Amino acid sequence: MSQTLESPRVELDEASAPDTPWVTIVWNDPVNLMTYVSWVFRSYFGHSREEADRLMLLVHTEGRAVVASGGREEMERHVEAMHDFGLWATLTREDS
Amino acid sequence: MPFRPGDEGVTVRFTRNEALVLADLAGELIELLEQRGPDATGDMLYAQLGIGGSSTPPLDPALARLLPDAYRDDESAASDHRRLTEQSLVDRKLANARRVLADLDAPVVVLDEPGIQSWLRTLTDLRLALAARLQIEDDGDTGLGDEDMLMIYDWLGYLQGSLVEVIE
Repeated sequence: MSQTLESPRVELDEASAPDTPWVTIVWNDPVNLMTYVSWVFRSYFGHSREEADRLMLLVHTEGRAVVASGGREEMERHVEAMHDFGLWATLTREDS
Repeated sequence: MPFRPGDEGVTVRFTRNEALVLADLAGELIELLEQRGPDATGDMLYAQLGIGGSSTPPLDPALARLLPDAYRDDESAASDHRRLTEQSLVDRKLANARRVLADLDAPVVVLDEPGIQSWLRTLTDLRLALAARLQIEDDGDTGLGDEDMLMIYDWLGYLQGSLVEVIE
């Protein structure tokens, strides 16, 4: 995919409300094929081709994309699944 | 296209040399992942449950890319998550690579659905490990000059692209 962008500062705010949703972020890497990344988004998240391609291009052009949001445990499962696929993913609070 | 749709699944036929190269690579990946055993200082019960992983990222850049932190700016959360989940991630990656290695014994590889999943993931893991060795950091990077390794890296990408195309 495209050049890896400068990592933005993401800070965890300890004062955030406990029910603040969490997000799964997929980061750009120079290795994974665009077709594979789009296929992962479709097969794992059940996205349409259009949505999967949109997210894949967002990762490609912006360096990262939020691919899911929800509870922390659910996002941890998503991140683990992305690591299974070899995608570079992390989770963080939505407002951070 | 190397991978083709067939009646019993996706099929691929490698030359003897291609199969040997792939088997070598899969073997090296298995050795690499096997280095990442349960943390010696970890809790024995956790270890028995398959969650007794290390709490710190691997020093080897290839392993570090295969097993990334789940939290980017929270070392403590990343460390907790790694300790609880890394061993099962390693085990799944090992199972995929062993499946690929076993498949390569046949003159024609026939992949059912789990086989396709294993091959997609292992081809990815092999490319991630090679890219780390080649120090490919940006798109279009050709890394640090080892032309043979780069050729293999590109060939693995070609194989993976072909497999993705066949299952779409």
